[in-house]
Amino acid sequence: MPTKTDTEGVTYLEAIGQAMMSEMEADPDVFLIGEDVGQFGGAFKVTKGFLEKFGPRRVVDTPIAETGFTGLAAGAALVGLRPIVEYQFADFISCAFDPIINVLARHHYRTGDAMPVTMRAPFGARLRAGPTHSQSVESYFAHVPGLKIVMPGSPQDAAGLLISSIRDNNPVLYLENKYLYRRLRSDGPINLDPIPLGQAKVVREGRDVTLITYSAGVSQGVEVADELDKEGISVEVVDIRTLVPLDIDTIVTSVKKTARAVVLHEAARRLGFGSEIAAEVQEKCFWHLDQPVARITAKNTPVPTSPALEDATIPQPAEIAQTLREVARA
Amino acid sequence: MATSTESKPQSADDALAARDPKLLIHIYEMMVLTRAVEDRMVAMYKSGDLLGSLYTGHWHEAISVGSAAALGDGDYMAPIHRDLGAHLCRGMEPWQVMASFMGKATSPTGGRDGTLHYGRLDLGIYNLPSHIPANFPVATGMAFAAKYRGEDRVCLAFCGDGSTSRADFHEALNMAGALTLPCIFVVENNQFAYSTPVSMQTASQDFAGKASAYGFPGVKVDGTDAVAVYDAVEEAVTRARKGDGPTLIEAVTMRMHGHAEHDPADYVPREMFEEWRKKDPVELFERRLLDSGVLSDATAKETREKARQHAIDARRKALADPMPDGSTVEEGVYAD
Repeated sequence: MPTKTDTEGVTYLEAIGQAMMSEMEADPDVFLIGEDVGQFGGAFKVTKGFLEKFGPRRVVDTPIAETGFTGLAAGAALVGLRPIVEYQFADFISCAFDPIINVLARHHYRTGDAMPVTMRAPFGARLRAGPTHSQSVESYFAHVPGLKIVMPGSPQDAAGLLISSIRDNNPVLYLENKYLYRRLRSDGPINLDPIPLGQAKVVREGRDVTLITYSAGVSQGVEVADELDKEGISVEVVDIRTLVPLDIDTIVTSVKKTARAVVLHEAARRLGFGSEIAAEVQEKCFWHLDQPVARITAKNTPVPTSPALEDATIPQPAEIAQTLREVARA
Repeated sequence: MATSTESKPQSADDALAARDPKLLIHIYEMMVLTRAVEDRMVAMYKSGDLLGSLYTGHWHEAISVGSAAALGDGDYMAPIHRDLGAHLCRGMEPWQVMASFMGKATSPTGGRDGTLHYGRLDLGIYNLPSHIPANFPVATGMAFAAKYRGEDRVCLAFCGDGSTSRADFHEALNMAGALTLPCIFVVENNQFAYSTPVSMQTASQDFAGKASAYGFPGVKVDGTDAVAVYDAVEEAVTRARKGDGPTLIEAVTMRMHGHAEHDPADYVPREMFEEWRKKDPVELFERRLLDSGVLSDATAKETREKARQHAIDARRKALADPMPDGSTVEEGVYAD
């Protein structure tokens, strides 16, 4: 279904808003809950206009209570509603760690009851926001059975994957890269068809090396790959799109073709999701690999505030290009 | 704000005869069954029938049954491990509870969870995790859903005195007040959070008084008095149904066993047990029903014997039931 979007394209932020708007229009059981989501339209204005359109019954401003409203969402979901929970920053989701892990994630396994809760959280660095406003939280949750984790890297995927997340009968952690909100724009109109969770996408075909990434790493990786083309290095970029479930088959197919694999993410290195991908790739592609799997990640530090410091820990294009060069040419 | 922190003494003369005898007998039967099943399960624990420890609610029967009896069929409940009586009121079968403590395939969770985690959504009962009061925010959500849909349902949530120290207790009560949710929060003050006495948990004089901070009524009742508990919850349910928001009820009793059966509770002064032993809620209620003529000696005897037999039959069924099939362990992590 096409949207009335203008031909200039849609930002990542607008895509998220359009997907939510469309699901709330289609399903009266879908409601939005979180801090400042209503009259303020959300800290990043993703839900601007929602209160006016849907009213306070379906757009619920809460007290500052991440544990409280996450548990509330669980209870509402158990009896048939489909809450969309907004955490103002992914950094604050640690306040809701207990209900996410012990209430949401294992409820279906324990009881067989559906738990359709979508948890949206803006995460990530490069906004000079410092150690408690810039974190990548996916690895905390990727270890927990029962959660799905969605991390879109384009406006079209942001919309399609969010629609699938809302319709999913499981708790889904949907992580929005806040650096992309207004910086990433689709080439043209987007559609609001659901994109299935658990399907990776080859966003750029190449021959020499496979770059496996997600979220902001996708656009960043494609830009670097386009530059490396001029040096005669052909990079295939695989956007995994959902960490859980992980479409390992698409990754394996690509790595078997290129025989070289590099993983890129802006989360810290130690037990970052790249560790899991590297382990899977070596188990499934060891005899096809010409080089060890390389990881491009943030350093094992908190995310510092000052630009000079933050840039020194978060992967930069030059580092990405250099690693791809080394792996492709070795 | 009507915050009453004085609990009335349990009176032998409170015109029980003028009340609905069917309701009184129902409460009595459920309390007797609760006691019979738990006594049987203590024996099962000792004889090694159960997987791990056993959590019982001796001296909580008036709270769990008195509260649950005030709910309608469509209402929700988020009980804890002292509330077998509330489960039985909603239709949970004693053998299912035993099967849960044995990890059987026929338990409400099919052995995926066990021991005290046996809630059933089809009975309107949330199956809680171990981190009480993690059930409190969930209870606000069930109440929220009822309000969202304009349904005439309330949610009754239980926790212990120990739970009141946690952040989710505060967040749930504050949020329920701010959003005017149809919730009833019952704090079962049994004097101890595992080994920690109330005096070491809080500088507050009582728990009911905390309600005034959230802007809704707090009521303190004698938790060994089934009628007093019923009346307090019934009033709170009525208030919630009218759209006037939550109520906090503190029901005072004593945990007469250890935290669980492995715990001899040596930290409890023996005189305290002796004092509270005189306040057996089941015996007190039975005595009042006999005195007021609602119950006859013969019916009382028959009720107790029926409950005992029920517990014996339940054990027999639970013991005979199969264990789950290990090859299914990866099924059900995700819903379709």
